Amino acid sequence: MLKEMIRFELDYRKKRPATYLYFGILFLLCFFAVTSKYVVIGGVAGGQIIENSPYNLAFMTTIMTFALTFIVSAIMGVPVLRDFEHKTDSLMFTTPVSRFAYLFGRFFGSFLVTVLVFCAVWIAFIVGFSIGKYLPWEPSWASKEILPFNFWHYIQPFLTLGITSIFIQSALYFAAGTLSRQTIVIYVQGIVLLVMYQVADTMLEDLDNKTLAALLDPFGMRAFTVYTEYWSPAEKNSQLVPLEGLLLWNRLIWVGFALLVLAGTYWGFSFNVVRTGWRKAKAVVADKTSFRPESVTIPVARQVLNAGSYLRMLLQQALFYARMIIRDVPFVGIVVVGLINLIVGAFYFDKMYGTSSYPITANVLGLLNEFDLFFLIIAIFYSGELIWRERSVNFNLIMDALPVPDWVNLVAKFIGLLLIYLGLLLVLIVVGMGVQAANGYFNFELPLYFQTLYTSTLFFLIAYTLLAFFVQIMANNKFIGYALMFVFFIVTFTIGAMGIQHPLFMFNSGSLGEYSDMNRYGHFVTRFSWMKLYWFSFVCILFSVSVVLAVRGSEAAMRTRLRIGRLRLSRPLVTFTLVTIIAFTGTGFYVYYNTNQLNTYRTQEEEEQWAVDYEKTLKKFEHLPQPKIIESNLKVELYPGDRDFTAEGFYWLKNKTDRPMADIHIQEDVVNAVKTDYLHFGGGEAKVKQQWKDFGYTIYQLPQPLAAGDSVKMNFRVSFTTKGFQAKGSNTSVVQNGTFINNTYFPSIGYAEQAELGDDDLRRKHKLPEKERMMEQTDPRGLSQNLFGNDADYIRFQMVVGTEPEQIAIAPGYLQKEWTGKDSTGSDRRYFHYQMDVPMVNFYSIVSARYEVKRDKWVGPDGKAVNLEIYYNKGHEYNLETMLTSMKKSLDYFSKSFGPYQYRQLRIMEFPRYSSFAQSFANTVPFSEGIGFIQKISDPEKDLDMPYYVTAHEIGHQWWGHQVPEASVKGNAMLSETQSQYSALMVMKHTFSPELMQKFLKYEMDKYLQGRAMERKKEQPLVLTEGQGYIHYNKGSVIMYALQDYIGEDKVNAALRNFLADWQYPGPDSKQKRYPTSRDLLGYFKAQTPDSLQYVITDWFENITLYENKTTEASYTRKGDKQYEVTLKFTSEKYVADSAGNEKPVSLGTQWVDVGVYTKGEDGKDKLVYLQKHKVTGKDNTVKVLVNAQPAKAGVDPINKLIDRHPDDNTKSVIEGSPTT
Amino acid sequence: MQLIIQHLNKTYSNGVQALKDVSLTINQGMFGLLGPNGAGKSSLMRTIATLQEPDSGSIQLGDTNVLTQKDEVRRVLGYLPQEFGVYPKVDAETLLNHLAVLKGITNSGERKEVVKALLQKTNLYDARKKNLGGYSGGMKQRFGIAQALLANPKLIIVDEPTAGLDPAERNRFLNLLSEIGENTIVILSTHIVEDVKELCSDMAIINKGQVLYKGSPLQALSDIEGKIWEKRVPKAELEAYRQQYTIISEKLVGGTPVIHVMADTDPGDGFVAIPGDLEDVYFSHIFGRQAVAV
Repeated sequence: MLKEMIRFELDYRKKRPATYLYFGILFLLCFFAVTSKYVVIGGVAGGQIIENSPYNLAFMTTIMTFALTFIVSAIMGVPVLRDFEHKTDSLMFTTPVSRFAYLFGRFFGSFLVTVLVFCAVWIAFIVGFSIGKYLPWEPSWASKEILPFNFWHYIQPFLTLGITSIFIQSALYFAAGTLSRQTIVIYVQGIVLLVMYQVADTMLEDLDNKTLAALLDPFGMRAFTVYTEYWSPAEKNSQLVPLEGLLLWNRLIWVGFALLVLAGTYWGFSFNVVRTGWRKAKAVVADKTSFRPESVTIPVARQVLNAGSYLRMLLQQALFYARMIIRDVPFVGIVVVGLINLIVGAFYFDKMYGTSSYPITANVLGLLNEFDLFFLIIAIFYSGELIWRERSVNFNLIMDALPVPDWVNLVAKFIGLLLIYLGLLLVLIVVGMGVQAANGYFNFELPLYFQTLYTSTLFFLIAYTLLAFFVQIMANNKFIGYALMFVFFIVTFTIGAMGIQHPLFMFNSGSLGEYSDMNRYGHFVTRFSWMKLYWFSFVCILFSVSVVLAVRGSEAAMRTRLRIGRLRLSRPLVTFTLVTIIAFTGTGFYVYYNTNQLNTYRTQEEEEQWAVDYEKTLKKFEHLPQPKIIESNLKVELYPGDRDFTAEGFYWLKNKTDRPMADIHIQEDVVNAVKTDYLHFGGGEAKVKQQWKDFGYTIYQLPQPLAAGDSVKMNFRVSFTTKGFQAKGSNTSVVQNGTFINNTYFPSIGYAEQAELGDDDLRRKHKLPEKERMMEQTDPRGLSQNLFGNDADYIRFQMVVGTEPEQIAIAPGYLQKEWTGKDSTGSDRRYFHYQMDVPMVNFYSIVSARYEVKRDKWVGPDGKAVNLEIYYNKGHEYNLETMLTSMKKSLDYFSKSFGPYQYRQLRIMEFPRYSSFAQSFANTVPFSEGIGFIQKISDPEKDLDMPYYVTAHEIGHQWWGHQVPEASVKGNAMLSETQSQYSALMVMKHTFSPELMQKFLKYEMDKYLQGRAMERKKEQPLVLTEGQGYIHYNKGSVIMYALQDYIGEDKVNAALRNFLADWQYPGPDSKQKRYPTSRDLLGYFKAQTPDSLQYVITDWFENITLYENKTTEASYTRKGDKQYEVTLKFTSEKYVADSAGNEKPVSLGTQWVDVGVYTKGEDGKDKLVYLQKHKVTGKDNTVKVLVNAQPAKAGVDPINKLIDRHPDDNTKSVIEGSPTT
Repeated sequence: MQLIIQHLNKTYSNGVQALKDVSLTINQGMFGLLGPNGAGKSSLMRTIATLQEPDSGSIQLGDTNVLTQKDEVRRVLGYLPQEFGVYPKVDAETLLNHLAVLKGITNSGERKEVVKALLQKTNLYDARKKNLGGYSGGMKQRFGIAQALLANPKLIIVDEPTAGLDPAERNRFLNLLSEIGENTIVILSTHIVEDVKELCSDMAIINKGQVLYKGSPLQALSDIEGKIWEKRVPKAELEAYRQQYTIISEKLVGGTPVIHVMADTDPGDGFVAIPGDLEDVYFSHIFGRQAVAV
């Protein structure tokens, strides 16, 4: 019987075109994903990770088996439902089929079909990779060596991850469809599943939640990423993802759950046609006629049909529809699920190292944005529902014969939805304020809520609703309408990827941008308004077409609709349509004028091509000897309101070579379209020898060559003018409040290597040779220039900055004079004159904003006072004290440990959150409002104090980077970034508890291991880091912390002190004749390291070393009254990885490793009672230690000082008893 | 006011010709449209109710061109489609009130009165607060009638209104219609001959898209007077009679077939002349056409 039922199901599906359609969709999507550049699944392949690597195949398979969950729902939701909908239930249930055979026959039959449909995934992958090379277009891996074909690589992930995922989804959809007998419940459930996935994703922001998040995701996607997060590119290219560990648990839990659900379905399914619901249907009330109908006369009512009554009808209808949606159970379901998603998100939002931000309204708005997905679902789904409302209940003929004008119906549907949106937005605001209040934050910025949600979000909803109306009316089939909306999204995405990225073609483009407390919505508002007007006109045109072509009556053929439509072209409608068409074309032209006439528009491809041409044309000048800047003296006039500035003044350029120079190569800032108004040398006009306007590159010929050792004054004026608005990402550096620019806006000398394409895949695509990211440490050119570029070594610096009177402008140096005045146009100006009294590197910032100032003082050990200042935005007072404390503690520690602070002043200036970093300039630290200023340290015991840390790091740079700028070669960041990181760690170590330090280092280790797993080119050892943040920041932290732990903080500081003494202000003009490299510093470390530990320098700095420490057994026996002997058995292994992550075990040699024993403290927390380094020489080790308290947990390297991918197995609970032998 | 239909033709995209050169003139009063299922009655009525487009032909309601001035027609129209659903989660009073607004009864006091009266008239008043989802077929049909009568329509089109009503309800409904029908055009389609006989002053018989007969029921009856012959025949001989005569109707009376044939003269063979009723008119046009032609 069961077999019969299964066969029936298979036969049924075989005849359905939809089955082949689903297969086709999956096949094409997967096929294009592996053979074209425009469709991307997952996006992890590229660089070192090969496109057909087992990891990427498994990743893509996992994604494809859940991202198209609607296919599963379409097949699995309906097998039983179908019988009810087609009213064949009575026929079916009176046959002698058993409930078991019926249900499971339907289930397994459909499940089999689903699996067969999803086989499209691996088949398409195989086909794609086999024939990709011979297709007329180029796959992304065109000129790359891919792995040889291996059938198992394709099929294994499908069997282990794909089928389980399909099974789980199948069971849930089947149960939902069978038990509820309502299609909509199936969809709502699909949304719930996706939300669970989303929630799991959100939770991952906290490291402690990794396991839970991995288990919570029903699709196994998170389990997959967590399980493979530390896989190196080599492992990804060579290893199948096995079904074990977290991944296996996730699958077991969910498959188990699915089986339970199936069992539940079996028990819960009633084999009756009429169902006894939970709520008894109310019995039909018998007519109790208290009057004789015949005696009733129908009163005459006035029928009013005019504009007023049409409005009344409109309102009546709109409210009717709105009420209908609110009462719809799925609607409530979607909203509730969406709100739950928000509330879960509220616990995690904007975290850094596990520390949250204050829920300022800008942050909460970011959180509320997550509801957009649900809004989109509501908009698309209920647009369809409302368009089909009357027809779906077969009430349409009655409605259509009413004397209601054609436009009223559609407008009423629209307004009905609009009312729902307005209400939901209000709910969101209440939720947002609730989140703020729950966090004890009561500065509700209601105007900001309204300003954002009722413009940007509301417009987004309006645009998609009217689009969906149009699509539904044109398609004239609800499900085809939904499918077309889906296609619309895919097409939009694809044409974007194909290079059509102009906002005029990207539906509903023109975002309001990010809100900054400093700059508010700033200049974004202009572009937003025009783009929205453009799109609003567009959707209004669609709406007019919809009104004309909407089906009214019983006929839906397009021919008939066109004929009737002509009758509907009333004068107001025609006028409305014409106005919207005029508005659409008008705004379209205006947008185009702004984006393409006032500004230059380039597509992604064109930008790449520009970089290619630049490189091909000008690379020959790269190493041409050029003079160096030795002084910069500029007057910068900022006009924040207009977002313009000019800079006028001079550089002194010096020929530091031993040969005369005739030509000077000047590079303008092309990226920001800065124009050179004039530029000449030494008073006389220099001749332009050659110029590439597109590249902003000019070769000037001096009147007479610049003799060796001679200098020339370069006078110039450059201007930056904001014209209208741009197509893509506007400039967020020159803004109305919170300008932050640096000297890259000003002319620079010679070829700009950073303009080249860096990514190897991109370079291959454009037929350029792969390139090294940095110069070798032995390259004399690299050694003679510092990390701030080859324009200068050190410069004399002064600058006058003018700005609007309400703003304070700051540049490096000391304020000489401040005055107000008028500029040439007569407007009020405020001027600041800054001058630096010692040479500084050629790297300076200019900031200007309406600042509040907090001042303090720090007096150094030598009695020298340093003025401390924080320039901040009013309202961001939260962490000022912390930052000041950090400034003082850092200055204390660094001046004592490394050498004196070189300046008399130290300033922090807040800048808008468009970027999230802080950056150290000479005595000046611009600091993003997004980090630090609004971080909330709610529990100093548990939360890492981010502002404290970031401040300390940036102050560290005043030594590492500013006192010792390093050579521009591989490994450079180990000198500036890693040492600033070390400096900050030491300040933190003397302030924070060991537990917090351990927490910080845990994040650093995680970031390093994740970073190396995603390395696109090659992982370098620390000593050769090539701008790889995960190495020089994150690995650097771990290693430096371990180093000071192994050889002692004093020794590390002594090494740094000596290094600083020898290398302060290095360069070609210094006693060392060059800039230092990481190898130089390593020498100082080695000098401080005892022989027994010399190996750590090699292992940690010069190699990529990974440890596997694991406690296999931990037991204790009592020794006397209060003594316990703990016996610990552990294994210790060491691996060395190459740049791709290929590992080989290496002999341990003689190593030192921590052994620790914890006891349960009185507060129930683990407390270390023993921590000592033990010598280890082989893999298996047994250690006995005596402790004075009852041991609870013990292990090897218990606080994870060494890089280890499985830190959790380092410790184990200690059990009483003798150790096994 | 007159409703004049001229040369109406309609062929659906699946090739079915629903209306073939239909021309009718309908005066105030009750007009019956009689025909079997699938005859084109509903197509014709939907076309008059502005819900469907003919391929050719014209419809004129007084001075209004029904095909182009749809809004004018809808002002005076009351329409009850053959099959319709309702919003299950809305109660009758709310929905009727809603529809009243959409019919242009904007004065809320008047609207309340009208809604109340119609609910009483259709005997739904006691169930007015009940969700329509819980209504029986008859109750739903009565609701449909109530809405068609909103705003004193001048043209009422009711498509198979008595289907699904029990005899008592049917009577009440027909009475209601006849009350209204005096200075209104009421077009009633049905395949139940009795409905027409009792109510209509004028009628048309339509089959396969064509008008087979138009005139008054009385005229129709007098046309067949003396032409209808009846005979009880044994079951076994029925087939033979079918061969020999053009039977316009056959039914079982007490288990024995009784057949009617139409003939100008006594066909003999034991046939007895009977006074034909409207049913015979109907069947004679539907099935007897061939015979008449011969």
